[in-house]
Amino acid sequence: MTFHWMQLVYALVSLFIVLNVGLIIQGIVRKIGARLGRRHGIRWYQLYLDLFKNYAMRSAVSHGIMFYLGPVFRLSGGIGLFLFMPVIYGSVWFQNFSGSGDLILLTYFIFFGTLGMALGAGESGHPYSAIGITRGLSQTTAAEIPLILAIIAIAVQYQTLSVTDIVAAQQGGILNWTLFTNPLATIAALLGFLGSMMRSPFDVVMAPQEIPVGPPTEFHSNFLAVLQTNRAIFPMAKTILYVNLFFGGATNWPVLIIKVFLLYMWPVFIGVAFPRFRVDQSIRWFLRIPTLIGILAILFI
Amino acid sequence: MITITLTTGSLLILLGLYALLTRDNLLRIIIGFSLANTGVHLIIVSFGYLKNRTAPILNDTMIAAGPETQIVDPLPQALVLTAIVIGFAITAFLLVFALRLYHTYGTLSLSKLVEKS
Amino acid sequence: MTQPILFIALPLLATFFTGLTGKRYGKFQSAVMNLALAGTVLISAYYVSAFVSGTRQPYTASTAGSLPPFSIAFRMALPEALTLLLINGLGLLGLSALKTTFRQKGTLSAVTYLLYFMALNGIVLTRDLFNYFVFIEISSVALAGMVLFKESGRCLKAGFSWMMATGVISIFLILSAILIYVRTGALDIDNILLTDPLVLYSGSAGAFFLFLALIFELKPFPANGWALDVYENASPAVSAVFSGAGITAGLFALYKFLPIVGDRWLFPLIIIGLVTFLFSNILALKQHIVNRMLGYSSVGQAGLIAAVFGMGVLSKEDMFFIAASLMAVHALAKGGLFWLSHHTGYTSVYEWAGIRHKPLFIFLLGFYIFALLGFPPFPSFFAKWSLISALAAGPYGWMMAAILLGSLLEAAWMIRWFGFAVKGNEQTANEIQKTPPVYTLVPALLLLGLILLLNRSRFAFILTNAWIPLLFITGFFLLDFLPARVKNTFMIGGLGLYFYFLYPTLTEFRLIFAIIFLLGGMILLLAGYHYKGRRIGFYPSSALMYSGLVGLLTAGTTVEFFFWWELMTLGSYFLILRGKKSLPHALSYFLFSMGGAYTMLSGFGLLAAANQGSLALETLSSGGPFQAVIFILLALGFLTKTATVPLHIWLPGAHSEAESDVSPVVSAVLLKAGVFGLILLMAGMGPQSLGRVNLYTALGWLGAITALIGNLSAIFEEDAKRLLAYSSIGQLGYVLFALAMMNHLGWLTATVFALNHFLIKALLFLAIGGVVMRVKTRNMYEMGGLIKKMPLSFISVMIGIIALSGVPPLTGFAGKWLSYNATVLSGWYFQGVIINFAGLVTFLYCFRLIFTIFLGQLKDQHRQVKEAPFWMMVPQIILMGVILFISTVPNVALKPVGTFLTRYFPEHALVWDGPMARSLYGYWNGYMIMLVTGVVFAAVFFWLFFINRKAVKIKQFNIVFAGERPSRPELTHFAYNFFAPYQKALGFLVAPVSTDFWNRLSEGTHAIAGFIARLFSGNGQSYVIHQILFAVLVFFLVLGGI
Repeated sequence: MTFHWMQLVYALVSLFIVLNVGLIIQGIVRKIGARLGRRHGIRWYQLYLDLFKNYAMRSAVSHGIMFYLGPVFRLSGGIGLFLFMPVIYGSVWFQNFSGSGDLILLTYFIFFGTLGMALGAGESGHPYSAIGITRGLSQTTAAEIPLILAIIAIAVQYQTLSVTDIVAAQQGGILNWTLFTNPLATIAALLGFLGSMMRSPFDVVMAPQEIPVGPPTEFHSNFLAVLQTNRAIFPMAKTILYVNLFFGGATNWPVLIIKVFLLYMWPVFIGVAFPRFRVDQSIRWFLRIPTLIGILAILFI
Repeated sequence: MITITLTTGSLLILLGLYALLTRDNLLRIIIGFSLANTGVHLIIVSFGYLKNRTAPILNDTMIAAGPETQIVDPLPQALVLTAIVIGFAITAFLLVFALRLYHTYGTLSLSKLVEKS
Repeated sequence: MTQPILFIALPLLATFFTGLTGKRYGKFQSAVMNLALAGTVLISAYYVSAFVSGTRQPYTASTAGSLPPFSIAFRMALPEALTLLLINGLGLLGLSALKTTFRQKGTLSAVTYLLYFMALNGIVLTRDLFNYFVFIEISSVALAGMVLFKESGRCLKAGFSWMMATGVISIFLILSAILIYVRTGALDIDNILLTDPLVLYSGSAGAFFLFLALIFELKPFPANGWALDVYENASPAVSAVFSGAGITAGLFALYKFLPIVGDRWLFPLIIIGLVTFLFSNILALKQHIVNRMLGYSSVGQAGLIAAVFGMGVLSKEDMFFIAASLMAVHALAKGGLFWLSHHTGYTSVYEWAGIRHKPLFIFLLGFYIFALLGFPPFPSFFAKWSLISALAAGPYGWMMAAILLGSLLEAAWMIRWFGFAVKGNEQTANEIQKTPPVYTLVPALLLLGLILLLNRSRFAFILTNAWIPLLFITGFFLLDFLPARVKNTFMIGGLGLYFYFLYPTLTEFRLIFAIIFLLGGMILLLAGYHYKGRRIGFYPSSALMYSGLVGLLTAGTTVEFFFWWELMTLGSYFLILRGKKSLPHALSYFLFSMGGAYTMLSGFGLLAAANQGSLALETLSSGGPFQAVIFILLALGFLTKTATVPLHIWLPGAHSEAESDVSPVVSAVLLKAGVFGLILLMAGMGPQSLGRVNLYTALGWLGAITALIGNLSAIFEEDAKRLLAYSSIGQLGYVLFALAMMNHLGWLTATVFALNHFLIKALLFLAIGGVVMRVKTRNMYEMGGLIKKMPLSFISVMIGIIALSGVPPLTGFAGKWLSYNATVLSGWYFQGVIINFAGLVTFLYCFRLIFTIFLGQLKDQHRQVKEAPFWMMVPQIILMGVILFISTVPNVALKPVGTFLTRYFPEHALVWDGPMARSLYGYWNGYMIMLVTGVVFAAVFFWLFFINRKAVKIKQFNIVFAGERPSRPELTHFAYNFFAPYQKALGFLVAPVSTDFWNRLSEGTHAIAGFIARLFSGNGQSYVIHQILFAVLVFFLVLGGI
């Protein structure tokens, strides 16, 4: 496919939109969480304030070059994931750079930021960072298994690995969504989704009490700001991927935002309802029921 | 006649081997070997014997009469001579070993020798 | 004109002559002895040349002017002449080994020695049964005399047992002579054979006794304790001739008299021979006294050759070739080994460490051992090949199994010994000179001569094709005195030239693997410039390995393939053995390799049998009725090399204990030999199934399991190099999985994985090797924070792990993408999930590798550490360049591969559109991914740099740590037992099941050996009982109709 400079502009526009959506959704979610806990909670735009404050901070200390590059890796991972994703089905301009690769690219690109961040956090020399990372990596490998099973199931179902084609196949009515055409794969993937969203019961990775926020523990000021930027984009990008794969994608921005919001609430609901797993418990959990459902999904394509 | 020597020979071999296997004294073992050897010699000689014939010593009358009808098979006799010589050599050698073992270990008992490694 | 009688007369005259000159063994006596044996050597050489050139015909000479049985007939023909040449040559050499003994013991000892050879000559020449008995007795008595050259009680006991046992044999022999005479009226072979076979039916008592005597002369298991005691206790110089010359003569006698014994006894002969071969080597396993081990080996080899005589399936030429090669190699090599033992005076294998700084001795020891084990290019290799091929043509699988199992066990103890000699560290009493004496050298030269003789065999074509690489190898052996840097340049230049000349002839996979083997080898050799001094042994071994690897590509026949395969194994074994603590690991590498090689050999044998003896590699496509079996046997060979579970346990130790610049070679380059073999096999033989099992499905599962086990084991490893080694097992599992799919995408995936594994493992092993060189430990938890000291190595490892874990945009992702597509295409969903899970596990150990070494807290003892050596970095930089290049434009590498793959699998090829690849399911544009990632990364980087330009660099311990500032890096560097939760959850998957299995197998074999060894008590009476029981057993076996 040929490259147009306008593509770049539209990519930036969509990036900007998703950044704001991410900040707002997460602000609202925290508000809801607080209210359920009978607290007053933050203002819905608090995340903006935090972001601006951190970007504006003048003082900063660095542990070395990888410490510097960690947040860079992290944010490029988030942005890259988003940029390789077709966002709005049917729109010529909001396909980003999805022509570069298919579903497999997306599933593997998720790790680009994770790995880079792990390196950056590692150089801080803080043991809590390292502990957080080992927990995170361990848990992720297990959580990915149901997702891989689901991906293979839908790849076989639709006979394609192109996200655009998968969305295309789900058009023409809600019953065409993967959610209904292949419910087992969807369930497996949604269970796997829980593991990657860093919420209870799978939030031991960043456990704020025992290992103060885990990997990013040493990051502050501008470094933290970059990470916070990523925290707005990355979960949104992941959620958009799920929306594309299982919930029919979206043909315009409002639909996309609503679907993303609803799907985003899924780990939030689980999170407020269940206590935390240890890592070995979560590994075993992922390898049992979700994996079984994934296997069934493949068997009953 | 042949049967007797053959039987004696075989018995001697068995007896010798029995001694070879069961005696503890080196000299007795060697004697056992000699017995067995003698048995073997007897067997060789008895196989060469032909009834009513004479020793294979040629003289003019014998040659005139056609020796192949007169004498026993000379070959086993020649063989047995060699075998005796060789048996002698082996026995001598065994005795040498026994002697030197006795000098080294101060015993002729095979079981005691084996223990002294 | 010469007469055969001279072989008796010359030594006899010399003994009288010297015996009469008094007790002192001076120069004159020595000269007479030497002249006598030299004379016999010359005469036998004359006969050999005369028979070969055809100027003389074989003939039989009668002594004393009359005809048998009243005279003794000597026969002279080519086999006799060759055997005599061998025997007397050894005798001549042995004289110089025993010179000091003769001086001490006087002339009579020399006379005994000469009489022994006179008797052996007689045994070879005589046609007369009774005369044979006489010579046998002379040789026995002479040997007993020679046992006394060493004065010890044990010698005396051994000698006494020996005399008892030979006495019993003499009884058997003499009875057989007289019984046969009585039946046939003849004593010489030719006349006996003239009689009606019905008269001399082979079940007769005479035949039975003769058979027993002939067999006992070869010391069959288990009735051979008396001979073993002699081997162990006599002076090794005596054992040398006893084994080298004595066994040769005994075997020749067996060969000669076997027709009298009759065909009925051939089958028992095979059984006895093979049982002896097998059990001798089992028993040798448990030994540590070198002379006794060599004794076991001697009786074992004698058993093997005896069994060959019994194999009626062999054609006459084959039988001659196999027996002659085995006998000659055995006599020379065993003589050489015993003489080495004599010269050094070392008894236990541990003491042999005394030669570890004497390269010439090590060379000789290795030379003889590998000749004995049947390695190319020695004739014994071709003998073994011919033997196995011939047996494969019939229903003789159990014979093949016994021979190969015995050979494997033989390799086990011999290589253990060799290992102790090279790497052992026990202090030895004897310091020896640097230069070996002549008598230990000459057998090696003669063995080289034997190799040249192969030019007259049907294997001549191999030497014709192989002389350039063989010369290359020899050159490095000869030039080993040069400085390492010069040799390194030669080696790189040599590989380059070789590639240049080979390039036009190579296509398809051969080209790909030539690039890995030769260009890859050249890049990795650059690291060798780091080493100063001479690095004795490194370059000859490398030359062996690289020649072997390239030979696999150029081989046109199965025998050539196997030839080079063995050389490659040999070279890599030597290289691995160079590591400081690699002794046990090199041994296990070698044993697994040999096991694999032997199954491969049987496979090739069956293949040749299915194709009327054709050896072309193309015959793989026509495997006949046994094609599934052939496939499995060959695959086993290759899977051992690629370290597929459960044949993988040798790899972690072997790869991690090797030197810093060897690990990358054996991992990145050498493992690909197995992959190439698999490709050759799968492309050649096509789909296979055994019963209802599709073998490729099985291989696919095996690959997936290997990938998972390998990767899981890697994450629990504290040792950086072992981690990488386990990772290799996993990576090779991917390759196997992908190959087994047998479709276009699968094979493309496999190619990508193989190439990636080469690039990445070379890079990582070099980088980690460099680090290990600097910090002097391989335990990752003892490192930490090294990024500040070794930034370049850090970048290497970072590039390496990103590529290894398959994260875009680097080249590893290509493999992952293809693997997904291929999985969906093949319908191998569940295997695919395991493979993908294994891929995720990769992240864990990759992170651990880079974090615990380079990140975290720098240790106090590493504050002065410098960057890895320059020459270690050079190849890394090249490799990084290649990785980045291929990641950006993958089409450059993959498109040509895809193009030729369509010849094998025309369907489902990728469609290329510039850098964009499309499969049936998805698409992937490496260039765009690299571009987008790069631009985003640069943008974020500059953005952060811009807003954060004033960041202050702070000290190591300046971290937020519960309000405290930690002061010791050990306390804050989180590294040990890094993935404890994972261990808790999934550790059961990597329980050392395979290791346990192989350990139990080895322990069991040792236990059996220990149990049987109790038979050999040193008691002459029990030895005689063994003989008699053996005789009874044979009698009943034959009576029972075997």
